[in-house]
Amino acid sequence: MDENPGVSEEYRMVSPWPLFVALGIPIAEIGILFGLVPLAVGGLLLFCGSIAGILRENEYVSSAWRGLAGVSVFVIAGGLALWYADTATASDLLIRAYSLIGTGVLLLVAGVGGDLFARDAEPGL
Amino acid sequence: MEITGQLLLTVLMGAFLLGVAAFLARVEDWRSYTPLGAGGGAVGESGYGHSEKPAGLIRWFTTVDHKDIGLLYGAYATVAFVVGGLMVMLMRAELTTPETAVLGSATFYNSLLTSHGITMLFLFGTPIIAAFSNYLIPLVIGADDMAFPRINAIAFWLLPPGALLIWAGFFPLPDVIPAQTAWTMYTPLSAGVGNGNQMNVGVDLMLLGLHLTGVSATMGAINFIATIFTERAEEVTWANLDIFSWTILTQSGLILFAFPLLGSALVMLLLDRNFATTFFAVEGGGPILWQHLFWFFGHPEVYILVLPPMGIVSYVLPRFSGRKLFGFKFVVYSTLAIGVLSFGVWAHHMFATGIDPRLRASFMAVSLAIAIPSAVKTFNWITTMWNGKLRLTTPMLFCIGFVSNFIIGGVTGVFLASIPVDLVLHDTYYVVGHFHYIVMGAITFAGMAGIYYWFPLVTGRWYQRRLAKAHFWLWMIGTNVTFFAMVLLGYGGMPRRYATYLPQFATLHQIASLGAFLLLVGGIIWIYNVAVSWIEGPRVQSGDPWRLDETDLNTAEWDWFEAKRETSLAATDGGEDVTADGGQEIEDDTAE
Repeated sequence: MDENPGVSEEYRMVSPWPLFVALGIPIAEIGILFGLVPLAVGGLLLFCGSIAGILRENEYVSSAWRGLAGVSVFVIAGGLALWYADTATASDLLIRAYSLIGTGVLLLVAGVGGDLFARDAEPGL
Repeated sequence: MEITGQLLLTVLMGAFLLGVAAFLARVEDWRSYTPLGAGGGAVGESGYGHSEKPAGLIRWFTTVDHKDIGLLYGAYATVAFVVGGLMVMLMRAELTTPETAVLGSATFYNSLLTSHGITMLFLFGTPIIAAFSNYLIPLVIGADDMAFPRINAIAFWLLPPGALLIWAGFFPLPDVIPAQTAWTMYTPLSAGVGNGNQMNVGVDLMLLGLHLTGVSATMGAINFIATIFTERAEEVTWANLDIFSWTILTQSGLILFAFPLLGSALVMLLLDRNFATTFFAVEGGGPILWQHLFWFFGHPEVYILVLPPMGIVSYVLPRFSGRKLFGFKFVVYSTLAIGVLSFGVWAHHMFATGIDPRLRASFMAVSLAIAIPSAVKTFNWITTMWNGKLRLTTPMLFCIGFVSNFIIGGVTGVFLASIPVDLVLHDTYYVVGHFHYIVMGAITFAGMAGIYYWFPLVTGRWYQRRLAKAHFWLWMIGTNVTFFAMVLLGYGGMPRRYATYLPQFATLHQIASLGAFLLLVGGIIWIYNVAVSWIEGPRVQSGDPWRLDETDLNTAEWDWFEAKRETSLAATDGGEDVTADGGQEIEDDTAE
């Protein structure tokens, strides 16, 4: 800090993703808790999409599409867990399980499809 | 009806997601000149050549700068404080009469009571501390930013949805009523058992909102621990780490162990309510299990809220005493001791539940023991002031007010730690008076000390001195009138959490309401002073507005302030924006 006075004013970092990560969580939570399919699916898409975006932004993944495909695995696993739990409990968890599995499949298709079909910014690299 | 509802929800959700996608596509424009990935995943490493922030609202929605996020936390906490304050003013108005003549219904009073507590603790208390720590910790330890800037932004943005969910019952939504569980959410009431109305979805929404604020606090805590451990400048060692950073570090450790437990307990409660589990049912884990889990979080929460304000007082009070903090090491040790002991006292909230007397005795012993490190701090503050050259500026007045109120709040607490006294005073206004002396008289006072002390640092302007002093005296008197009246009410046997009371308590209740009115007036003065001074207060004329150099008590954040002033002066002289060290051209801001 000493050799670069006031320097933190000049490191400018912005990211569009945190806001949407934070919005996705409550929407998905409400959707899953109350079994409201549109909210569960929409919230999860928003949350997972933003996670993929933030992973891309940090270059933890080479493309946002691959990030999407990666997080889809967790969502599908969560859905399968609910699907399994449905048979073990008296509560009706099926609609929630289908929401998660459906969202996961959507994410997976989008991720794989995007990776295959989206045009590269720098072809050949 | 069901189908159209789902359809409407789907359309709305789809439109919202499209809006988000459109916004993100537009954002691509300015991503091209703020290459965020430049660090290659190393979050602490910053790329050079960034332009200034995007203009307008977009800046605030997309910022990951610790100072901006600190200001967002501050603004959020202020809004929550106003909401929680207005809620309690309605309650105090109701309590001027023994009947429910003012609000008309006890259920509305119970809703306000629940929301006031949760709002003040989770939406004001934790965020106002995060405001200070976000803004100041990187500055005082010489870090460029927080260790995880994006996590920092996520942690903040979880809070507004959390607040909306917690307050959801008050909004005109069909079939949703506010939670009336009190902030402790004791089962079986909060599990919706019985013939009451607490099976309502409003309680679920409140629990979800609370869960979100817990996630937010945990993310923030991890960030502070990582920042303080790994991002310190070379010259900042453990030996000379400042007291505020020590308290934030300890607080973050407490959050890390306490809040995930609250989150789990809330999920268990939600499962009990919605999926017929029996965690807290009599035939399952039992209602007392909730109290154990809740207070295992809840009592550390008290220290989560009080340690950083103690840090602020330990940091600010010596500046105006003209001497260094007396017994610095012991203040740090006592902070750590409180941090450890705070996990061993939870059952003192449960002395009246019929738990094993041997357990009770051990919890009483630890509860009494935790008074010792607190007293160490108190004596250190007093000794710092002893024979010092006191300057009674507004921040100093609030610090002294903190010490004074903390002594009353603390001593009333020591009595409560004793089982026989607790069994008499349990669930009376004595308890309410005791903890309000701490949360209002101490924690909020320290927050105000911090706000006034760092006001020049943040805004580059001065607040109005006379208004600030009026604020202090109104609050000092108001706090003591309100909460001492409550202590007396408790001695008289007035139970807490009731909208109505026996006529014999009327006078003391009216006195308490009068004190609350003084607090309201002081609060209005505070908001006015801060808002107006921020816009048009006189500009600070030096990098050392508190003249700390005279007593050799300057600290790192004012060096940063001075450097920033010099940089901006140089920039104004040149008539152009400063290019960063990388020397790259700054492109036009095309985002707007």
